Amino acid sequence: MGDMALGIAASGLDAQQTVMDTIAQNLSNANTPGYVAQTADLSTLTGGGDTLGVGGGVQVTAITQASDGLLAANLQQAQGALSQSTALQQVLSGAQATFAEPGTNGLSAQLSAFWQAWDGIAQNPSALAPRTQVVDTAQNLVTSLSQASSQLAQLQSNAQNQLGSVVSATNTLLAQVAQLNNQIVQAKGAGTDPNALVDQRNALMGTLSSNIGAVATNMPDGTITVRVGGISLVQGASADTLQLSGAPGSLAITSATSKVTVPATGGQASGLLAAINQYLPGYQTQLDTVANQLSTTVNTQLAAGFTATGAAGQPLFTGTGASGLAVNAAVVADPTQIAASSTSTMPDATNNGANAQAMAELYNASTGPDQSYQTFIQGLGAQLQNTNNQVQAQTSVANAAQQNLQAVAGVNPDQEMVHMLSTQQAYQASAKLISTVATMMQSLLASV
Amino acid sequence: MTDLMSGAISYTPSIIANSLMADLQANQSQQATLEQQISTGNAVNVPSDNPAATAEIMQINAGLNRSSQYAANATDGLAWLSLGNSTMNQILSSLQSAQQAVLSVSSASISGNTAAIQSLATQVDSVRQQLTQLANTQYAGQAIFAGTGNVTTAYDSNGNYVGGGSAPTRTVAAGEQIPVAVTGPGVFGTGTTGLLSTTPGSLGVLAQISADLRAGTPASLNQAMTTDLQNLQNAMSQVQSQAAVLGSSYQRMQTFQQQATNAQQALQSQLAGIQSTNLPQAVTDLGQVQNSYQAALWAASKVTQDSLVQFLG
Repeated sequence: MGDMALGIAASGLDAQQTVMDTIAQNLSNANTPGYVAQTADLSTLTGGGDTLGVGGGVQVTAITQASDGLLAANLQQAQGALSQSTALQQVLSGAQATFAEPGTNGLSAQLSAFWQAWDGIAQNPSALAPRTQVVDTAQNLVTSLSQASSQLAQLQSNAQNQLGSVVSATNTLLAQVAQLNNQIVQAKGAGTDPNALVDQRNALMGTLSSNIGAVATNMPDGTITVRVGGISLVQGASADTLQLSGAPGSLAITSATSKVTVPATGGQASGLLAAINQYLPGYQTQLDTVANQLSTTVNTQLAAGFTATGAAGQPLFTGTGASGLAVNAAVVADPTQIAASSTSTMPDATNNGANAQAMAELYNASTGPDQSYQTFIQGLGAQLQNTNNQVQAQTSVANAAQQNLQAVAGVNPDQEMVHMLSTQQAYQASAKLISTVATMMQSLLASV
Repeated sequence: MTDLMSGAISYTPSIIANSLMADLQANQSQQATLEQQISTGNAVNVPSDNPAATAEIMQINAGLNRSSQYAANATDGLAWLSLGNSTMNQILSSLQSAQQAVLSVSSASISGNTAAIQSLATQVDSVRQQLTQLANTQYAGQAIFAGTGNVTTAYDSNGNYVGGGSAPTRTVAAGEQIPVAVTGPGVFGTGTTGLLSTTPGSLGVLAQISADLRAGTPASLNQAMTTDLQNLQNAMSQVQSQAAVLGSSYQRMQTFQQQATNAQQALQSQLAGIQSTNLPQAVTDLGQVQNSYQAALWAASKVTQDSLVQFLG
């Protein structure tokens, strides 16, 4: 009798100590990223020498983690979406900052100054000063346009560099996840507890989701399969490597082994790809349109006019595109080449500024640069506003997903404390039982 | 607090801490936005604040600049026109003295005072010279009666028109162009009915009067007092009618200048409506956000302190 009771009580002490260990582990990892709260699974030990079937005490069958695959996948997706919008937001904010609108220093103010300068010529067609003023304001416009264009190009190359480092960081992470998969399988095979490895893998998955929108699926053997846009990148112990291919506009992330395009639907990489392939080239095109419309509008009006000698004048702008536009060197050298007169008849053209007057009125021409610039800035603002809203919404989604997962997988010290109390009591009870059995044995021995 | 999934949820300290952090951050960014609106006075500081309003602001600014240019054009036009008007008045008073001279010919001729008649001829000559000078009046280096055909000179020393084209105009509103001068031939006439010509064989009215007076014959004196005087009076009424044209241009110019100024004010108040921060609103909002920020800070300092750990002896 005594042997059995002591054995059962000893198994109780043993089990409660293990439970206490898991509580200590939980409490000390309450703030560890990726840590999933552990529970010691207790079960009745059968056997023992008793024929009536009392049982053999208690045993710890496993230390399980309170994971929830669905909530974890939700969090991964939410983090991927948030990182995507945040990356795009950063690039678009940079693009917006390139254009100081609405304000008195932006391109629209410079366009106004340019159109107004033509009225100066109209007021005094034979004077040199107003013509020089037109050339100066035209040069300001050219400078601003080419600066804006090169700043957009700079944003583009920055985004590409960033994408490059995201991809190489992702490759390292994928390899690490595959390695952990392998170690987990081995640990399981050896019968040891892989929970610490799983926690590490969880932390890596969080970064992978943010980087490239990766989602993990738990496999029965304890490994995870990592997928991006439906293409699996980590399967068991093997990991794929990603690389960038194509030129800006059609830049893509492809698998290094299968050469298949990996459609990054979330994560920082996806936001950067959208900026590189779609948004920034679009802005560059729109800026080029503004430059070309400026050139066409002004040069067309000038072609309809004549100089003070009744001859055809020179175009004011040469070149195309925001970066290629220039002020005609012939006009810079000799501003009298500006065709301010509306007539070639002499001597009427001598002091005629009617064409310059007509030019000034083109400030709101429907095919002029001002309107297309306004449309461009409005579009850029709307896209950034939209992205800002997305970031805001996705932040709360990601927070909620994080909280939902935390509620299951996180450590609640209050719960752990309650658990600790009950474990302590169970331990005390088992200890008490041992001393009681000892007393019983002593009484028995004393009576002999 | 950020929406947490409703229902039974186990709030771990890290959930509470995270959600407090998120709330504090949201609060801070709200404060930053409001503070920017108050310090710049602008509700729209970057296009993404309000894309549609940004485009509107840019359009209104362009319109404002254009309106101020219209006002500047009108100011320039008014300067031209008022110089034109005063020149016209001088021309008329010179012509009146010439007319006076011709009218006094009859008494001089009755008394046979040839010296007096010669001096009247000189007087008429000096009027003609004076008119030629007035006809070359310049504003900002531009001859106002030369049309667009000559920069500095409308009439040469022989009284021949060397300008060309029509009078210059100023744009004072969209599609509204007002002439800021009249051309020389309109004011001074041309050829024998004109005032300024001294070309032999095609003498202008004043040169003809002078020639007739200097000839001194009864026929020529009679010619001076009848035909020439009539021509002079016709020329004067021509000048008067052109002065009236300038006067009405001046009035129109003034009206449009006023209009441009009014348009500027209207656009400015429209701009203020779109762009300006509603200060009372922004300040009140900021106060509210600051209050809730402080409350959140207080909560952050309190909530996470209590746990069962404290109550276990």
